[in-house]
Amino acid sequence: MQALKALIKSEDYELAWQRLMTLADSVGDYPSLTGLCRLRKKLGKISQRPGLRRVVRLAVLGGASTELLEGPLQLFIESQGLDAIVQCSEYNTFVQEILDPASDTVSFKPDVALLMTTAANIPRWPGLGDDLDGVNRTAVDVSDYWLDLCERLHKQTNCEVILDNFHAIPTRPLGNLAVKTPSEPNNFLARVNLRLGENAPAYVHVNDVAQLACQYGVRNWFDARFWFHAKQPVSFSCLIPYVRNTARMIGALLGCAAKCLVLDLDNTLWGGVVGDDGVEGIRIGDGDAVGEAFKAFQEYVLNLKQRGVMLAVCSKNDEVHALGPFQELSDMVLKRDDFVAFVANWEPKPDNIAAIAAQLNIGLNAIVFVDDNPAEREHVRQRLPEVRVVELSDDPADYPRILDDAGYFEVMSISAEDQARTRQYQQNAARVRLQESAGDYQDYLKSLDQRAVIRPFEKNHLERITQLINKSNQFNLTTLRLSRSQVEAMMTDEDYVTVCVRLADRFGDNGLISVVAGKQVDNVLHIELWLMSCRVLKRNVEMLLLNHLVDISSRRGVANIQGIYRPTPKNGLVKRLYPTLGFQEAGDMPDGAKKYSLKLDGFSPLSPPIMVVDEY
Amino acid sequence: MNQDAIWDKLIETFRDVFDEPELVVRSETTAKDVLDWDSLTHIQLLVALEQAFDVRFNTGEVAGLADVGAMIDLIDAKLK
Repeated sequence: MQALKALIKSEDYELAWQRLMTLADSVGDYPSLTGLCRLRKKLGKISQRPGLRRVVRLAVLGGASTELLEGPLQLFIESQGLDAIVQCSEYNTFVQEILDPASDTVSFKPDVALLMTTAANIPRWPGLGDDLDGVNRTAVDVSDYWLDLCERLHKQTNCEVILDNFHAIPTRPLGNLAVKTPSEPNNFLARVNLRLGENAPAYVHVNDVAQLACQYGVRNWFDARFWFHAKQPVSFSCLIPYVRNTARMIGALLGCAAKCLVLDLDNTLWGGVVGDDGVEGIRIGDGDAVGEAFKAFQEYVLNLKQRGVMLAVCSKNDEVHALGPFQELSDMVLKRDDFVAFVANWEPKPDNIAAIAAQLNIGLNAIVFVDDNPAEREHVRQRLPEVRVVELSDDPADYPRILDDAGYFEVMSISAEDQARTRQYQQNAARVRLQESAGDYQDYLKSLDQRAVIRPFEKNHLERITQLINKSNQFNLTTLRLSRSQVEAMMTDEDYVTVCVRLADRFGDNGLISVVAGKQVDNVLHIELWLMSCRVLKRNVEMLLLNHLVDISSRRGVANIQGIYRPTPKNGLVKRLYPTLGFQEAGDMPDGAKKYSLKLDGFSPLSPPIMVVDEY
Repeated sequence: MNQDAIWDKLIETFRDVFDEPELVVRSETTAKDVLDWDSLTHIQLLVALEQAFDVRFNTGEVAGLADVGAMIDLIDAKLK
């Protein structure tokens, strides 16, 4: 914090912004947070944050005071590589704000709305004598009340809604009998929370405040004094977990969640230094307290992998030493095959991490780095400020909790692709090896035996399509982000041509990897969306897609296909896509985007080495 | 802790919360006299004072502290 103040004083604003965001990402106590918020305000007055980012408009509505959350929410959203405009509405005005089409919230046109609730906002409680069925009916009514408000808000503004669920009340007049009494308030709140989770539509994201309050202790979470005095829903000591958790959900909604966990080995995945202590000398596994702590951390990491996080190793070691424990010790929970990249050498870690990002075709901000050595962490922070660096303690028993609290891997849904991701990247590595041996690139592509299934948007793929739309940065012509309901609207709109492609090859299924959508106006098809997963770059899928687009378009009486390239810091890759495919330049748009146009008359189909099949 | 030490720590906390390194407060200073001292910073101030002195203000006290002198007296009483 002192260093940040010094940077501001010496007018080194670019570094100051960078430092501010790094500090915000790891700040742990409330006084420091208010200090950072003040510095954020000050810095914002004297300088503009450098760089181009997506702006998220967040409306905060509450059955509690929300003012104190405004600064911290903005800062935590910004620290994820976004810009944020936060608007808080007055205490307990959420119903009016949602129902009135002219309210501040509705006219603000939020991308995301946060609906903060507390047990004080429960509209109806069951009677003490109500039986199980009666209590469950009331629980459904109460959860419907909230979901109905969310639906109205979503219909008015098309925003995504984050809805807090209800943490327990810190007292229990019925004592232990509460467990057997469905109508008891905490018993009832648990039922309401279950209904919210079960019945929330895709645009409602339930903020699991109940679980957070449980982790920190309900009596720490809620400070009755400040509730009575100023309707503060969360105590000051727990404000950071609440805001950080909420900001991570917003980040995930906007495609900022991390994708890959890069791990050090010595004293991070096991105790000791394998190069010095030997494979037999390191501490991992049962029978030794420290070994058990490291094993528990490996188990947590494996859970992350199973839900779609890619794992990589970055260790200062000779490779032969680094591999030893994986090959020789049965106590190792993680196996060599769990990692999509394994880098053990003596090069600087920032260089190795940058190479891993390049190999996996992901941005640096999609990487989380875990290393027990503070010097390595600082080196990476300074050289690669976009990488999320986890501030570990010196006790391995803390590691799972610290990584969990950081919340970098928050996701809004898990698709089948997520679960298969590590396998897909390994297949990719096999493809690269084949490419190296195949010589001529076209021969290599032919040898891949590629098969594609091309379909319009379909309901069972909506989740994956939405995910791809919101995650793809590099092969993405317009970087237009859409909510699931917007994608669904395109799917059912007759004026829209929608296409998605699944691709398989001799190494396996790549899953759904490309999405295109365009709107037909008279005899012109305007491409609004064209993107592809980076796993299948340079496989000629775009040629296949153009053939297909021309084919459907001509059947619909289209004479011209019009495309847009809208530049971002990340999509330079496709700057020349349209000209390469034979489109003509058709002028610039006011926002710097370029228009391109293709006449269907005279188009001769391209011949990518991909076979189109109905199903593979 | 004697009155002088309480004063020093209190002024330090005020300067920290209001981010005014030169801020001076006296016994008779009230919220009206300090820029940015609104109901929200009031709460932040009390939380900071609670941490600085390791004391706890009760619900009535949170609302009732009208001037700095009252704060000093209350902290002094709680520390005894």
